[in-house]
Amino acid sequence: MLRRPILRRRAALSLAALAAARLARAGEEPVAALLGAFAAIRERRAAFAEEKELPELDRPLRSHGTLSWRAPDRLEKRTAAPIEEVLRIEGETLTLERPQQGVRQVLGLDQAPELRPLVEAIRATLAGDLPALRRHFALAFAGDPAEGWTLVLTPLSPRVLAAVQRVTLSGRGAAILGVESQQGGGFTRLRIEPAR
Amino acid sequence: MRRLLAGRLRPFLPLLAALALLGAANAALLRGAGVTTDMTDFLPPPRSAASALLLRELRAGAATTLLLAGIEGAPAPELARLSRALGEALRASGRFAFVGNGSEALSEAEQEFLFRHRYLLSPAVTPALFETPGLRARLAALLAELHGAASPLLARLGFADPVGAFLDLLRAWTAGSAVALREGVWFAEPPPATGERALLIARTAAPGLDTAAQREAVALLRAAFAAARPPPGARLLVSGPGAFAAEAAAAIRADLDRIATLSSALLAAFLLWRFRSLLMLLVVAVPLSAGVLAGAAAVAATFGTIHGAALGFGMTMLGVTDDYPILLVTQRRPGEALAATARRIWPTLRLAALAAAAGLTAMILSDVRGLAQLGLFAAVGLPASALVTRFALPRLLPPGTAIAVRPLPAPLARALLALPRRRGAAWALLAAAALYLLAIGGPLRERDLAALSPVPEAQRALDAELRRQLGAPEVGVLIAVTAPSAEAALQGAERVGAALAPLVARGALGGLDFAGRYLPSARTQRERQAALPDAATLRARLAEAAAGLPFRPAAFDRFLADVAASRTLAPVTPADFAGAGPLLAARLGALLAPLPEGGWRALVVPSDLRDAEALRAALASLYEPGLLVVEVRPETQALVEAATARALLGCGVGTALVLGLLAFGLRGLGRALLTAAPLAGGVLLALAALALLGERFSLFHLVSLLLLAGVGMDYPLFLARSAGEPVEERLRALGSVVHCTLTTLLTFGLLAFCATPVLRAIGLTVAIGIAGAAALAAALVPPPSRAPA
Repeated sequence: MLRRPILRRRAALSLAALAAARLARAGEEPVAALLGAFAAIRERRAAFAEEKELPELDRPLRSHGTLSWRAPDRLEKRTAAPIEEVLRIEGETLTLERPQQGVRQVLGLDQAPELRPLVEAIRATLAGDLPALRRHFALAFAGDPAEGWTLVLTPLSPRVLAAVQRVTLSGRGAAILGVESQQGGGFTRLRIEPAR
Repeated sequence: MRRLLAGRLRPFLPLLAALALLGAANAALLRGAGVTTDMTDFLPPPRSAASALLLRELRAGAATTLLLAGIEGAPAPELARLSRALGEALRASGRFAFVGNGSEALSEAEQEFLFRHRYLLSPAVTPALFETPGLRARLAALLAELHGAASPLLARLGFADPVGAFLDLLRAWTAGSAVALREGVWFAEPPPATGERALLIARTAAPGLDTAAQREAVALLRAAFAAARPPPGARLLVSGPGAFAAEAAAAIRADLDRIATLSSALLAAFLLWRFRSLLMLLVVAVPLSAGVLAGAAAVAATFGTIHGAALGFGMTMLGVTDDYPILLVTQRRPGEALAATARRIWPTLRLAALAAAAGLTAMILSDVRGLAQLGLFAAVGLPASALVTRFALPRLLPPGTAIAVRPLPAPLARALLALPRRRGAAWALLAAAALYLLAIGGPLRERDLAALSPVPEAQRALDAELRRQLGAPEVGVLIAVTAPSAEAALQGAERVGAALAPLVARGALGGLDFAGRYLPSARTQRERQAALPDAATLRARLAEAAAGLPFRPAAFDRFLADVAASRTLAPVTPADFAGAGPLLAARLGALLAPLPEGGWRALVVPSDLRDAEALRAALASLYEPGLLVVEVRPETQALVEAATARALLGCGVGTALVLGLLAFGLRGLGRALLTAAPLAGGVLLALAALALLGERFSLFHLVSLLLLAGVGMDYPLFLARSAGEPVEERLRALGSVVHCTLTTLLTFGLLAFCATPVLRAIGLTVAIGIAGAAALAAALVPPPSRAPA
């Protein structure tokens, strides 16, 4: 019972690698090949460490916790310290919980325009949804889909661009290892370590 | 050929001309007098300030502009897409003050307005918030939250408003909505048995009274749904007072149209079968048209307008005037001229028509406007039809016309003639009915105002379900503060809010909504301004509070500037607030509104009241001059009871009038009572049958009882008239009564199948009663053995 998801994931991984290799040979864009590999993975978990720099603060803020993803559209970010917090996005619904304060907020993603670009960038990549990514961002890819790569996303909408100027994803194969985002004078760096 | 046809038609020309004339007069009258469809005409009138407020809210309050919608019959993501498309289309139409489906958000301009006035509007603003310890606590909390996922939002707002006044203000806007959000829109939670259901609520810009605008709003909703390309199987459910006004009016009209068409067809078929003469149809149509003309003219002259339901239903009621020409034709002895028959039966016919009109007293005296119109319509129409039957019909028909009715089938005739020998059984049946009614403690009484509404039961059930799912239940208690100015009304509502806040805190009350949550009175806003420290003091306190925290010195410059600016801002007025954006205007408009007669009214709406006694006590201790507390249920029950009591009184007066008329016409109270006995029996049987069917007895049933007594008056009168006569004469009378009863059943019996409660109540009561009264009249007629030969 416990082994089955792992088996499936391995099978999916090798399939994805095959698919990526074939697409690359066919002259397909490397970003499409990369996202194809992402699409094959239905579930994943990772640990994260985050560092935020804000112009109003004289030192960065650090936090850590776990991330989990389940296709097609469920993303969860659990911050363990220094505050306890759960951010869950499923479909169009965003839930923010701070159990210590007894706070639970449920919002439509439309009602959280500041969070939307980051959420869409990570989610569309994990889902391997290239059209969704292209709908929201201009894409710049560098590196090798099977090895190290970076994907720079620039929001297309001027409104979003005022809040978030750039999101940079970096990784190796079908795994995101880092997310950096530039928001006004602030800068956020997320380091991700996939769970084994 | 043409000459032959013209020649054959010529004898009927007077009749046809009379019909054409009456038809044209009727059409002209209806075009001249306005036909209204305001369904609240069928509600009882107010008796107190509280019930006046209640009825005004029912008639024209903010709640009447509400449209509730559910979308179901497709997978959740598809429903969400439809809900979003519907929301966008409705918002873009400009016909709605507010459209909520979970995806709506305060516009940027609205957010900016609230943000600029946050230190005047937010209930979080107190002097303590701007002291050093208060600031220190807020800065520490801000730092902690900046670690979390909401930091992009906080980076935008947190430094300009570290005390969180704006977020506190926004919470008041989102707190009210407890509807589950999925796929970014509202969904019913838990889903109903029919599957997932997305929910949407809309408030029309037009007032609830404007039925045409309400109908258009509902049509717009349906069109927007169709334009969103719903997949096969997806359904749109619509409810709310606006939808009711529009769709109930349409349902009543459809009911009446269907019944009218069906009963006309059945009636025509029946008459053709029995009389084998097309002429008979014309003969029946003339008194009916004349009655409608007289009734409509009387209502238009008395009330100025005619209610659509009163007109449609009144015409159905006047269908019983078929009796008069049928009696004329069937009572004619072989070889007798029609004019002679008319003269011979006139005393009895006159008495029957007058008694029927007297039976409508209860309706005419009713203070329910729609019923009074209906009563007047029929009370004038019935005698008018009788007069036309007596004086006009014999002249309009070609001389020597003989319309022969088929004789009653022999077995039926034998059974009817034998009925008087079964009078023991008749009395036993009546006794059983009386005992049954006694045993169950009288008929089941209807005390719910909603049951009197012309809205079909199924529509009301859907409404209740959608309201529950949207967390917008019917208001149980309504608290209103009336004052000469908006400011005074706002201040009053604030005092009520403050008095009830402890109840919310200890759970006696689930929540409280009032204008002050969104727009405080100018006095409160000035108090908040007074709580703001001057720039130098605030800067010093902030520096002290931030000691040891990683904030740069200039981090809160915008906060300092905004507080300084807030100290001199002019307080926000209701006009400023409503002008800032549609969502702000809609929220305030539902809670604070000017009155048409001058002055302002602010509403305080408690939700989920668990301890009504505590609420009463808290409000009683508050001295508030313009305060009005309406407990909706007891108040509506009192209204219904008052209207019922008045109808009962009307019934008493009506009965006395009918008996007086009979005693005068028959020269003796004993004979009057004997004649009225079958009708009293019919009423008793109708009551017992209604109870047996589980029908709750309402105002409408009550007035129908008298109606049936009046309508059936001709049966015992004509049967008693023939009691001493030879058997052919008795059979002729029996035949007349059978034909009259069947035509009445063909009109009223069909009403019992209507979905509209009013029509159904009257139809059922009259159909059962009239059948009972006819059978009893045949059974209780004095037996021939005792009558002189």
